[in-house]
Amino acid sequence: MYEKIESAGSLNMSKVKCDHCHLEFSDSVMIHDEEYRFCCNGCRGIFHLLKDEGLESFYSKMGDTTLAPPTQQFEASSNFDTPAFYERFVTFDKEGLSQVSLVIEGIHCAACVWLNEKALHKMDGVIEANINYTNNKARITWDANTLKLSAIIDMIRAIGYNAFPYDASFQEVRANKERKEYYLRMAVATFAAMNMMWIAVAQYAGYFTGITQDIKTILNIAEWFLATPVLFYSGWVFYRGAYYGLRNRAVTMDLLVVTGSSLAYLYSIYITVFEKGEAYFDSVAMIITFVLFGKFLEVLSRKNAADTLDVMSKHIPSEVSIIEGESIRDVNVNEVRVGDIIRIRSGERAAIDGEVIAGEGNFDESNLTGESEPIFKRPSDFIISGTTSIDALLHYRATKDFAHSTLSHLVNLLENALSHKPKIEQLANRLSQHFSSTILFLAIGTFWFWYFWPHSFDRSLMVGISVIIIACPCALALATPVATLVGLALGAKRGILFKSAAQIETMAKASMVVLDKTGTITQGRPEVVYVTIHETFNSDILYSLAKASKHPISRGVAEYLERTYETVVQMLLEDVHEIPARGVVARVNGKMIVGGNALLMRDNGIEIESVSDKSLFYYTVDGVLAATYELRDLPKEKAFESISTLKKFGLRVVMLTGDHERAAVHVANEVGIDEVHSHLNPEQKATFIEMAHTEGHVVVMAGDGVNDLLALARADIAIAMGNGSDIAIEVSDVVLLNDSLTSLAEAFAISRRTYGLIKQNLGISLVYNSITIPLAMMGYVIPLMAAISMSFSSLLVVGNSMRSRWMYK
Amino acid sequence: MDSWVVAMMLGASLFLGALALAAFLWGIKNGQFDDEKKMMSQVHFDDEKELNDLADQQKKREELKKKVYKPE
Repeated sequence: MYEKIESAGSLNMSKVKCDHCHLEFSDSVMIHDEEYRFCCNGCRGIFHLLKDEGLESFYSKMGDTTLAPPTQQFEASSNFDTPAFYERFVTFDKEGLSQVSLVIEGIHCAACVWLNEKALHKMDGVIEANINYTNNKARITWDANTLKLSAIIDMIRAIGYNAFPYDASFQEVRANKERKEYYLRMAVATFAAMNMMWIAVAQYAGYFTGITQDIKTILNIAEWFLATPVLFYSGWVFYRGAYYGLRNRAVTMDLLVVTGSSLAYLYSIYITVFEKGEAYFDSVAMIITFVLFGKFLEVLSRKNAADTLDVMSKHIPSEVSIIEGESIRDVNVNEVRVGDIIRIRSGERAAIDGEVIAGEGNFDESNLTGESEPIFKRPSDFIISGTTSIDALLHYRATKDFAHSTLSHLVNLLENALSHKPKIEQLANRLSQHFSSTILFLAIGTFWFWYFWPHSFDRSLMVGISVIIIACPCALALATPVATLVGLALGAKRGILFKSAAQIETMAKASMVVLDKTGTITQGRPEVVYVTIHETFNSDILYSLAKASKHPISRGVAEYLERTYETVVQMLLEDVHEIPARGVVARVNGKMIVGGNALLMRDNGIEIESVSDKSLFYYTVDGVLAATYELRDLPKEKAFESISTLKKFGLRVVMLTGDHERAAVHVANEVGIDEVHSHLNPEQKATFIEMAHTEGHVVVMAGDGVNDLLALARADIAIAMGNGSDIAIEVSDVVLLNDSLTSLAEAFAISRRTYGLIKQNLGISLVYNSITIPLAMMGYVIPLMAAISMSFSSLLVVGNSMRSRWMYK
Repeated sequence: MDSWVVAMMLGASLFLGALALAAFLWGIKNGQFDDEKKMMSQVHFDDEKELNDLADQQKKREELKKKVYKPE
């Protein structure tokens, strides 16, 4: 949308930039304030605030970026000062200062980070505000005696951003620590390995052209000095891995790495001390460094479960207002008992199920049902927790306590499903087990064979070790991470985000793909498909009428008018009334205009006889029917082609929907899906996935709404549409940023290709080993060759992965 | 060539390299590379004013510490 505005601006000189958000609008609609222009009061407020605080250099730092104009719909910030909130989110540091972690919404650019930090630092009592630009998370340290947390939140909101707290959970802290540890270990390993290289150059030159023993010893000691931290500090992860593997009675790749490098290290010390033969210190450092990088790539692409729970907790209100006689009291959700009277205001989310006793208004239930139309609630209707009040201020009686309400029930089911997510064993893991035990066995066999042949102990040991070193698991360890990295990059370029590398392999093995209808196959909003004009009328008036409602049907009509009549403008209507679940009534030039569904027409005394399974929008002027619009939720572009591609991959394509059967079958026929299950509630969708599992399918599920959540959590691979609900995106393994089914098909293509690449890479390293290991067993391997062959096999694997990257379009 | 020259040169260069490594490790531990986007872009905003702000912030912390630990 912004692009459109900008391009129009370059043609039309009357467009001017808002001085705060830098979006361009026509000069006539702007707010004029001395020499400044603002698109809205929100922007003006922020601009003056920044000027007063001396932070106006923000605008020069911002450069060409544009901001979203501020929205003013916030929950009261006083919620943040309650003891229950403090207990949950605020921690104290050693000096007795309070700390809270916030996620800041609306950060677009480095200047935004700067502005938030500066604005907070200027507040009395804020000691430190550190915002992470990459994930928009902030850590704020402040003195609770001087300043309330609500004041901090208010400041962030005042400058045009929003903040919500999150539990900086244990997992996340641990994940960050683990990553940092890897950086440290890799820095040490890389430093040592690189320095080792130039010492090794001298060694090899000496090997071929002659070298005195004392120089050789000096070089060996230098290498010893460098190899020690690599093996024991950087390589510590492998010792740990091997130990845990052994405790679980498994021979892991770690064990092979550890035995190979430790033996080579000990042997090299022996060589150095007794001044005979060639030392292998360089191989020790190389193995550890290479394999450590491979392992790090895996850690890097592992999905962070911690983030999912953060967003979940954002969706659960921690407090509700209950009414006791005359007074209103905020209590923790867990303290609410059945029968308590709860007040809910517009914009608030219900935390507890109940029955309305006073007041009325619209609720947004799209969260739970996927139903995009607002639902009108009046006394004796039921409120479902998790839904949001759009404009309703009402009192309702709790019929369940928090733990038994729909929302927490859903959250529990979800957490359960996430922790029991099926795991498909990765090819490389399975392979490496056999590989490791075979190599260890061969090495030991070789040693005994040589020792009894008979050869000296030295010689036999060296040959045995060379078997392990030549079978360097570098190539094997790098095979999967490098290939998946290529897959991740290919996907990212096309707007397909794989959240975890391991999922690429699982996706390639999928045999069934389950699609949600609304929002996944279809566009999720109704579009006009057929128009009948009965009387001529002024389209501007209808446009204004349609614009008066936020209902999807009205919006669909308004969009249609914008498309067909390019020049439509909004007019001023009088007495605009929106009638919930009916339509809009207004008055213009003394004429009564009515736009809405058949029920509204009947209420206004106009008989409509036609029945259609599509949504109909009638428009009457002074009681005479002027036009009828038929609207339907159309399938997305190229839906048919994409689905036939999926079928070509040999996948069983199934459509699930909560919609009624007729609409479902209609869409299914249009896009070419043969298997349709309609009328399903969220739990039934999940059960369907379970059933598919028991039939032995590996299931990929694509959906967008909260109503798909459980099913998404159960599936082997969950794919969310980029404009789906936040939780759906969090729960999913793959996100399609451009929402299209084409990228769904492409995601499959990429994962299959990547899996093929993994297999190729593993194949290369195995073939390589099957050639070099016999040579090593026969004792033909000199140190130089061992080192070269090790790097060469790794290079082959990396090179093969890169080749695939260039080949793929 | 006396082999001690080789040993000395090796030792000296490894020592210098180790110093650089230690500095780098210190940087990582200190969180200077935690936020790759911020690290690259925030440099543009670095000037004298920022340093002053930082000093003010430090002062604020010191003052507060005094207040919190004020002996009765």
